[in-house]
Amino acid sequence: MPLGAAGSFCPGSPNQNISNYPSFIDAADGLLNDAEFYPQASGPGLLLTADGGRYEGDLFGADKIGEGELVFTTGMMGYQESLTDPSFAGQVLTFTYPLIGNYGVHINRSESSSVWPRGVVVRHAMKQPDHRDSVATVNDFLRLHNIPGIENIDTRAITKNVRELGTVLCVFGPLDKEDMLKARLSELTSPELDDLVDLVSIDQAIMLNEGSCDDFGRRKPRLAALDCGIKYNILRSLCQYFEVIWCPPDTNFSTLTNDYQIDALFCSNGPGDPAHPGKASMAKETLAKAVESGYPVMGICLGHQLMGLASGLKTYKMRYGHRGANQPVVDLVSGKVLITSQNHGFAVADPESGMLAAHPSGATSSEVENLHGQEVKVRYINANDKTVEGLDVIDKPCFTVQFHPEACPGPHDAAGLFARFKKIVDNHLGVI
Amino acid sequence: MVLGSGPIKIGQAAEFDFSGSQAVRALREDGYEVILVNSNPATIQNDPEMADKVYIEPLLSSSIKRILEIEKPCALLAGMGGQTALNIASELAHLGVLDELGVELIGSDLEAIDKAEDRDLFNKVCDSINLPISEAIACKSMEEVISAAEQIGTWPLLIRPAFTLGGLGGGTAWNVGELVEIATLGLRNSRINQVLIEESILGWQELEYEVMRDEADNAIIVCTMENIDPMGVHTGESTVVAPLQSFSDQDHQILRDQALRLIRALNIKGGCNVQFAFNQFTGEIRVIEVNPRVSRSSALASKATGYPIARIAAKIAVGYTLDELPNPITGDGTTAAFEPTLDYCVVKIPRWPFDKFRTADRTLGTSMKSTGEVMAIGRNFEEAFLKAWASLEQGCPHPRPLTKADESEGDTMAERANEPLPDATLVDWCKIATDRRMGALIEAFRRGWSVEQVHEITRITRWFLYRFEKIAQMEKEMVTLSCNPTEIDVELLRKWKSKGFADSHIADALNSFPPEGYKSLPRGRDEDSVMRRRHSLSLHPNYRMVDSCAAEFAAKTPYYYSTYEPNTKQGIDHVPNLSKMEKERYVAIGSGPIRIGQGIEFDYGCVHAVMAIREAGKDAILINNNPETVSTDFDTSDRLYFEPLTLECVTEVLLREQAHAILLQFGGQTAINLSQPLEKRLPELVKSGLNLKIAGTSCDAIDEASDRERFEKFAKRAGLTMPRGATGLTSNDVRNAVEKIGYPVLIRPSYVLGGRGMEILSNDEQLDAYLAEAYLAPDKPLLVDEYLGHATEIDVDAASDGKDVLIGAIMEHLEEAGIHSGDSTCFIPTQNISDKMLELIREQTIKIGLGLNIIGCYNIQFAIQGDVLYVLEVNPRSSRTVPFVAKSSGLPLARIAAKITIGIPLSKQTIPVRTSGKVCVKAPVFPFIKLRGLDPAPGPEMKSTGEVFGSHANADVAYLKARLATEVPVAQGGGVYLTVRDDDKPKLVSIAKDLIELGFVIYATPGTADILRENEVPVEVVYRIMERMHPDALDLMRQGKISFIVNVPTISGGAVRDGNMMRRLAVELNIPFVTTIRGAVMEVAAIAAMMKGEMEPVRLQVNY
Repeated sequence: MPLGAAGSFCPGSPNQNISNYPSFIDAADGLLNDAEFYPQASGPGLLLTADGGRYEGDLFGADKIGEGELVFTTGMMGYQESLTDPSFAGQVLTFTYPLIGNYGVHINRSESSSVWPRGVVVRHAMKQPDHRDSVATVNDFLRLHNIPGIENIDTRAITKNVRELGTVLCVFGPLDKEDMLKARLSELTSPELDDLVDLVSIDQAIMLNEGSCDDFGRRKPRLAALDCGIKYNILRSLCQYFEVIWCPPDTNFSTLTNDYQIDALFCSNGPGDPAHPGKASMAKETLAKAVESGYPVMGICLGHQLMGLASGLKTYKMRYGHRGANQPVVDLVSGKVLITSQNHGFAVADPESGMLAAHPSGATSSEVENLHGQEVKVRYINANDKTVEGLDVIDKPCFTVQFHPEACPGPHDAAGLFARFKKIVDNHLGVI
Repeated sequence: MVLGSGPIKIGQAAEFDFSGSQAVRALREDGYEVILVNSNPATIQNDPEMADKVYIEPLLSSSIKRILEIEKPCALLAGMGGQTALNIASELAHLGVLDELGVELIGSDLEAIDKAEDRDLFNKVCDSINLPISEAIACKSMEEVISAAEQIGTWPLLIRPAFTLGGLGGGTAWNVGELVEIATLGLRNSRINQVLIEESILGWQELEYEVMRDEADNAIIVCTMENIDPMGVHTGESTVVAPLQSFSDQDHQILRDQALRLIRALNIKGGCNVQFAFNQFTGEIRVIEVNPRVSRSSALASKATGYPIARIAAKIAVGYTLDELPNPITGDGTTAAFEPTLDYCVVKIPRWPFDKFRTADRTLGTSMKSTGEVMAIGRNFEEAFLKAWASLEQGCPHPRPLTKADESEGDTMAERANEPLPDATLVDWCKIATDRRMGALIEAFRRGWSVEQVHEITRITRWFLYRFEKIAQMEKEMVTLSCNPTEIDVELLRKWKSKGFADSHIADALNSFPPEGYKSLPRGRDEDSVMRRRHSLSLHPNYRMVDSCAAEFAAKTPYYYSTYEPNTKQGIDHVPNLSKMEKERYVAIGSGPIRIGQGIEFDYGCVHAVMAIREAGKDAILINNNPETVSTDFDTSDRLYFEPLTLECVTEVLLREQAHAILLQFGGQTAINLSQPLEKRLPELVKSGLNLKIAGTSCDAIDEASDRERFEKFAKRAGLTMPRGATGLTSNDVRNAVEKIGYPVLIRPSYVLGGRGMEILSNDEQLDAYLAEAYLAPDKPLLVDEYLGHATEIDVDAASDGKDVLIGAIMEHLEEAGIHSGDSTCFIPTQNISDKMLELIREQTIKIGLGLNIIGCYNIQFAIQGDVLYVLEVNPRSSRTVPFVAKSSGLPLARIAAKITIGIPLSKQTIPVRTSGKVCVKAPVFPFIKLRGLDPAPGPEMKSTGEVFGSHANADVAYLKARLATEVPVAQGGGVYLTVRDDDKPKLVSIAKDLIELGFVIYATPGTADILRENEVPVEVVYRIMERMHPDALDLMRQGKISFIVNVPTISGGAVRDGNMMRRLAVELNIPFVTTIRGAVMEVAAIAAMMKGEMEPVRLQVNY
């Protein structure tokens, strides 16, 4: 199987005692040595939103027009992880915390090989970072990846606007080109219409930690991780328990079982609408077949939404989604609350309460059918708005969660879910 | 039953009034009957309406046990009353008292408390979950201390006493000598006689995590905080920032995991805080300590995030889980089981008393010296920091270039202001943590020092240094520009404002910081000019909500801070729906940080004023900046503005609110000082649509009461007697005045609170010494008064509506006039004043109230010498004694006065019937143990930090209770050491006789001994200390032979060395001492009362 190019990201490292694990490009790698930067943006900037909002600021990052769906995240730290989270593909990301870039950009802390938002909106882009691991400023990081930013802008006003009206399309660029920006905004289509999953995922399968063994010297079960925009820390976490094959989203179920001989399947997070007919729907097919065939399945975020669709539950666009590191989730089995990291704009409709906290546009998946024929039940809900945060497939070794147990950024409260999945797989395989 | 924390002292301020009040409300909401016990009369929590039953009794395990027996509550909640309450609960639980009475300890249980508090147990817990702690060895004796030091093997070492508050008696030792000295104190101060000897991690970053956990094991981090000062400075003494700034998500999540693991291992239920040390170069972590209760940090965290920690902790204590509780800020649809996220930056700066205690050692270390703190919020660090600085009310409201005048006050100050502070001194000021450090950092950058250089000197995280550098750079921009305020470029001004530069700061910098001070700016180039320019450009602050969720949810709680957003052009940011508001908007000004002379009593006044405004059907708006207080609780007022109490910030809030009236009487001197500048500015503000009334006493009347000469004229007209006095603007003026009046004289600067710089002088030498230190300027004259010897001082609190006067109470001071009224012990009702004199006092009080046209509260200090009643001063505002009066007489004077100012005259109010039948005593609590270099004797300058209360049918018992509540023991046997000045010696005889009768042994110096012997009092003679012969008093004290000292020093603040040394030692050994004959008489009465053992608790009862 082909390996990715050498870089600073090593799945499973340093948690495992195996040699020769491959390493992949981290979005910050390019900052080392002879970094090549795109031209610097500067001067007064203007951000326009589709609902008529107009916000002035100053441009930074790459000299380029920013456009996409305007969302906000409330995490106070972890901007590097967010910027490199593929789930933000197609979006313009506003940070509610006003000081972004305090501790610079670090090698080996990115969640993928690139920066995904199409624009970044901050109150202050800090120009003098201070941290022992810092190699560059956020400004340079954005320039490296040709991503524009706008600062000195009233991020709280923007956040309130998004909260009230729901996520909207926006565009930002030089203040003196307002007419051009208006024109572009009027032509802008929702990035959700694009096959964003295709954009952010790999094209060829990669075996990550072949022959990896557990503490008892036993070979780890083999797992295929369907990449819909997977975060590196999911791969790192999975590699602790499994021998992981990192697969494109459109990998056939038969390839997985026949060629790869997998023991279990994982479906990742990713950008866009789960009901998109592109690669996401192919991942959904594979997922459904795995459930139907009794394979252990775990899903996170988009993977969870695909499971919802495959189980005959509708998905819908949320008003402004959950993006941050402080989302409380209740485990309906134990009654306990987990503080979780989240980044999603779509949700699975609750079988009883329906579409909670829905977007005013009313965007929803069309009528769906249960592809695998199994019943699911809601296992986790959001403690605030009661939306669905996790599903268990009844009597099957399958579960999915809307939140991010791999954190990065965010709290580790839910990290135990990977171990839970390992236990499920072990049970399934009859390993004691 | 909920326990409070007792008097305000260094290390334990108003934060527990805030947390206790919140807890009581949370519990009553759920239908629990709450009994509250607290010895501090100035708190809101023991207001009669707050709890179902209130006891103002000493916080001693014996008295709490008795109250438990009387009330038989189901449960005891101790986590809201700081270390004091926790220690009592722990003691009662260990003694089995709680089990015996069937009282459940709720919140964290005994085991959890022990595990967190006992260092040995704590270290074991940390070990068991692999948490790195700094190597610490618990020692119970000096031998163990020495061997622990050998075992660790590196210097410096940290010494930490177990079970104390504010790290009392801890310190850093660089050698064996220091180790022995500090450890001796530490062993003594620890309740369990244990100190910890630890490796020093000086220079590491220090941070705090505020954690909540419920019975179902749900646990969250409410707030993270990063100290600017590296390890080695007590966290209460550090300038603190929330949230973490220089930490990555990875760093934070590791710390978060550890904090949560730790509180789970300790099994803490409710709120607690975990302190970490972090090596920023290696990422190494050490756990420093855990407080298994709400703390000062949790009050700060509550105000910084909006998350009501005490309220939620109380709910958890009665069995709720976090997810069952709504987040009260964001309301239904959100839960308390979440972690607040901020979209702003918070800075806390402690408030130290060194402006008053100029001789005290300013060095900050592991024990606390600050009396209070301020908090400010901004959208960037610079803004939050500069706003916090302005909130301190410590000299200049913004940082200025440092000069030699900043080294000390005194004669040549004006000349010295022209010379910059020498670089060598500046290095020291940066390196050694003192109250001057933050100003020194900015100064270093003004001088072009590099961040690396300053980091080398200070070990302060570079991130913060970059920010200070930025402040200096922007200042420089202004100095270079040096333009007329009318010409400031709009973009520049907007940029400066968005970094938190106040109008006064900008004006000062544009004038290149003249050495004469920021108040001397030329007209047309001053603060007002900058404001006018700003207003003409429609530059006003935006007001942002502290909503715990960074605007993710719509918040219900109107708690705001100001910020200047760049790139917005919107003029005045009016309150939403202003046009629809039907209620009139009344603004009350808070009192800022707790300091000597302006304590929690003023916050009490503000809270009552707000209640009165709301009761009158108007919108109550409060501005304050003290995070510890009840007034800044999110649901005290209709709208809360967390802002500096500067003219600029208050003005902007008034504009935003289109306020109808402002109340300045309740926030102490801070608020009243705003009256004149605000009045001057009003015509200007009318243009912006503000039609404001300064409610209550007019500015002119305030001036007439406060201005020496005007008041003298009034007194003459009204036929009142005042001590002879004069004002001096120069040294010569003062000398002439003294000559005219004759020694002894009372001397002080004008317009001060708490008698700062006030001394009694009895000869020319003392006058010379005083003038050498005093700072005279045209706007800062000195007042010289005839000193009234052996006079009884009287305090009166009253309210007037211009027609009628309501006298709250007449209070008699135990100490003679000359001891600051805030430091005296006082009685309601008076004990030794004739009815005729009382009538005269009433008459004059009414005369003054009506004559000065006071509308609202006022306080008068009288002195009685022989048959003559002197008026010493009139304070046209709510006073320090107002809460004491309310709780003693059942008259909520602050609220009554506030109603008057709103326009409800006394005749239209229902005044509750005065309570009677009890003697109430208020006694001061002093910070001597914390502040070395301060003469531990009360004098004309106020030194106390707080007060306690005792009440009983019998005056002796009432006094005894108050005395016990001060936490200084009352002697019950052993030796008494007597040394008094000559004229007091005859009066000592009966005191000595009483003491002998009570079984004490008397020790005295030869002179005193002679007189006692002549009067057949058996006495043992000891050497005077200055004779350097043994045994002297100090020897006896160290041997434990002395349990009580009567030491009346000679008149004057210039301390006589003997007495000073002895009092210092007494403070350190916790031996009670009195410095007045009347005090001695009362103390002996208390000793006798205690021996009789009649100290039944008294429930507070009022008729409203």
